[in-house]
This record gives sequence, C-alpha cells and structure tokens, in this order.
Amino acid sequence: MTTTMAPAFQDTPLVVGGRTFRSRLLVGTGKYKDNPTMVRALEASGADVVTVAVRRISLDRTREEGILFHIDPTRFFLLANTAGCYSAEDAMRYARLAREAGFNEFIKLEVIGDQKTLLPDVAGLLEAARTLVKEGFTVMAYTNDDLVTALRLEEAGCAAVMPLASPIGSGLGLLNPYTIRTIKARLTVPVIVDAGVGTASDACVTMEQGVDGLLMNTALAEARDPVAMAHAMRLATEAGRAAYFAGRMARREIAIPSSPTTGMLS
Amino acid sequence: MIGPLPRLHAVTDDRVVAQGRVVERAAEMASVAGAGLAVHLRARGLPGSEHLGLAKRLASALAAHGSWLVVNDRVDVARTAGARAVVLGHTGLSVRDARRVAPGIPVARSVHEAAEARAAEAEGADFLIVGAIYATTSHPGRRAAGPALVEAAAGGLPVIAIGGLTPGNASAALEAGAWGVAAIRALWDAPDPAGAVRAFLAVLPGTTTVVVAVNGESRTVAEGTTLAGLLEQLGLDPRAVVVEHNRHIVRRDGLAQATLAGDDVIELVHFVGGG
Repeated sequence: MTTTMAPAFQDTPLVVGGRTFRSRLLVGTGKYKDNPTMVRALEASGADVVTVAVRRISLDRTREEGILFHIDPTRFFLLANTAGCYSAEDAMRYARLAREAGFNEFIKLEVIGDQKTLLPDVAGLLEAARTLVKEGFTVMAYTNDDLVTALRLEEAGCAAVMPLASPIGSGLGLLNPYTIRTIKARLTVPVIVDAGVGTASDACVTMEQGVDGLLMNTALAEARDPVAMAHAMRLATEAGRAAYFAGRMARREIAIPSSPTTGMLS
Repeated sequence: MIGPLPRLHAVTDDRVVAQGRVVERAAEMASVAGAGLAVHLRARGLPGSEHLGLAKRLASALAAHGSWLVVNDRVDVARTAGARAVVLGHTGLSVRDARRVAPGIPVARSVHEAAEARAAEAEGADFLIVGAIYATTSHPGRRAAGPALVEAAAGGLPVIAIGGLTPGNASAALEAGAWGVAAIRALWDAPDPAGAVRAFLAVLPGTTTVVVAVNGESRTVAEGTTLAGLLEQLGLDPRAVVVEHNRHIVRRDGLAQATLAGDDVIELVHFVGGG
C-alpha cells in the first residue's frame, strides 16, 4: 500500500521585476577553468538566471567564441552585469550596450568604489539606478549591507536589492547576518544576497536569514570540483529556505536536556 | 564581391618569401593602405603546411587593417586561411572547380592576352590580373605588352595591371582602364615599403583612407567604409556583436548606413563570462 504524502516543504517561485524563476540560486559564468566545466556546473546548480559581463570582442582571428556559444539563451535567463564600472556614467553605458544585445531589459547594476574591496560607490550606484529605472531597465542593484542604501535603492525603483555577504570573490561567507536580516525585514522588493559566498554552509546560513535568493560565482568556479559544489549549493539554498520557513528553535546560553529528567534508575 | 576590390596589390614570389619577414613587411604596408591594399601570397616553393601557416599569419595581420589576403593557385590554402580572394593561373583550376573547393571567395584569373581575358570572363571570374604590362625581372621570359593589353583585356571585369608597375607609370595603366595595379619589386624591394605604398596610393584613385579607433586600436579603412563593412572586414557577424559608434549605440538595421569618418571611435562588444 502506498501513501501519498504532502511534500515536507513547498517553496514558491522567485519573482523579480515581473518575471518568475523556479530557482532561488543565481549563478555567474566567470572564471571557470573551461567552458564544459562551466556548462555542467550551471546545469548542476539548477539555476534559471545566469549573469554575463559586457566586454570588447577580440578582433584577432584566433578569438574565442563569446559566452553565447556555450550557453543557450532560451534555457537560461541572461542577467547582464556592469562589472568593472567605477562610475555611474560607465555603468549606464554598459547597461545600454547590454540591453541592445536584445535579450531582456534586466541589468545587475554594479558601480564599484574601491578596487581592492570592490565595494560599491553608493552615490554613483544611486545615480545610475535612478536613471536606468527611468529608461525602462529592470534594475537589480549590487550594494553593501547598509539598510539606508538599500531603502534608497528601493525608492529609486530597483526591482531587487542585492546586498553582499562579504566582498566579491572573498569566499568569507555571511559576515553580518544582522544587517542582512534587517534589510530583508524592511524592504518590499526581493532581497538577493550577492557576493562572498564560499561554500554550501554559507549559502544555507544566508538563506536562513529569510532572503529571497543568492547569487554566487567564485564559490563554484574556484571549487576543486565546480560541478559537485554547484550540486551542494543547490541543496544548501533549498535547505536554508526550508529551515527559514520551518522557524528555528530559540538559542540559549544554557543547556536543556532533550531526554526526560524523570524516570532515571536509582 | 564582398567589399570594393583594393586598388593596390602587393604580390610575393618565392624570392620575396625566402627573404623572410613577409608578415612584418605586409603589416607595415597594410597599416598605411588599409582596405586599399591586397597582399598576394604566391609561394609555389613552400611545402603545404608552411604555406598554410604563412597564409594564416598573413590573414591575421592584414585583417586588423582591413587589407585583403589573396592566395594564388592554392584554393585549399585560401579557404582554410580565410583569404579574401584567390587567383588562378592560366593553367590552374577552372573557376567553377575553384568555387567548389572554396565557395564564397572571389576568384580571379591571371591572363596575358585579350583572348584569355575573354575566356576568364566567360567562365565567371570575378576579376583579372593582366600582365606583363612592362618588362619585369620577375618574369624575364614574358614580353612587355604595354598599356594596350589593359585596354584589350578590360571588358566587364575589373583589371589589376601587373608587370613592372611603379608609381611613375601606374597612371598609364589606369587611363587604359585598369581598376588598380599590382607590383612585386616596387613594393617588396623598396627600402621603405610603407613609403612605396604611399607613393602608389597617391596616383591611384579612390583610395582615400580614414583612421578610426576600433576597440582601442587604430585602424585604417577606405573612405566610405560603413560599420557593416567594418564588421565584414573583421569577420564579425552583426548578430554576435553590439556596436557603439562615437558613444552612440547603432542598431543592426542601421549598420549599413553608418559611414566611418576620421577619428571615429568604435566599440564592438559582446557577452562574456562574468559574475
């Protein structure tokens, strides 16, 4: 006799800028040791959204193909970024070029303020966000974990706010759960943590804060086995989301036994 | 034919190839003449893989300036190296057979008499190399036919005159109806190949060039080149690249109407992997 059980936890899709995505894990396409590894890792991650960068095409006849040679744009939603932009003007320029490629009007907006830490230039970020929103872009803004900046980005019309867990490529994981929880509690638009996730536990802990999604790149690309790590991240993202909805137990500074204290033998 | 046929053709022979530094010297010429120059690789003495290797390196160096690589006789090398045209000798393959080996590449025939020119036109050649116009030590056995040969050969097909051509005598060939001129010694033996190219360009029509910046690199193109033409020269599919012209994004349907002007700044971008 078989029993049909209701699934232990059923998540809802991620909705950003009017588009629906099954997976809450967004993955970058940079820095993989080779393209076949990248493609297998993207598949294993279960991601629907992948980020790409905009760069000059090589004019040399021996040029390598662009990323679209390896990634099927009907299978993945391409989220172009403005990586490497240090001013609002640059970021807007790159965003417009990205939109011209003709896939969608989404942009992962990055305006970097410091080369060593790759932390955002908040003033430039807000300026670019405001202008791009007016031009009809669906702006997902990479930012620091400052609540006020997050609120300003939402006010500017961003479709999602993407605070960092720790600096890009650092693999330090979630450095400040409090700030991330605070941002999630106060914002209406989706909060997707972008940058700094290093391994599966980082992804799980971050999702446990209640955020709507995660974006990671280096954690996969620089893992010894990116495909296995992508699989781990997929599970971790789902685990963290389920744990969040499960409602964790309280933390205590004393021990409380799990087994009865009565009925002990004399 | 894709893009206008260059007016100046720098033809190699086994002696020029044996001197070495062919790619470097070709690049020097190309940087001056851009799309106004075609470099012909004639290297019967080279074994196959060396021939192909040299052709590929030339193709790469010339493409950066919009200059043509033309391969003589070896249609297989032309196809594999991405040459812009191929020249068949009088005893070479038929134009039809050449097109079977290398579809889509313009095919020229090298001719020495008016009758050969007519025959080449009848079999569907795209242009003609006609010579020898003047005496040349490159072909000591060949009779110098003078500019009259150009006149006799010129019909429906563009004629490139060859044989002892110099900046000094090029205008006679042009007046007789030649589209352009080809030279071996006047270019490759010149102490300053770039200077020799300039001297020829000064007497050749319609080879005004403009210098633009493409992805940060200086590039000489023939005046009148459009963004669509530039992409063609670079071997880029317009669907695979986004074009910015002087900080304005140019949509795909506008590429053929956008003409390049001197000092234009062009950025060609596409998607790459990123986080």
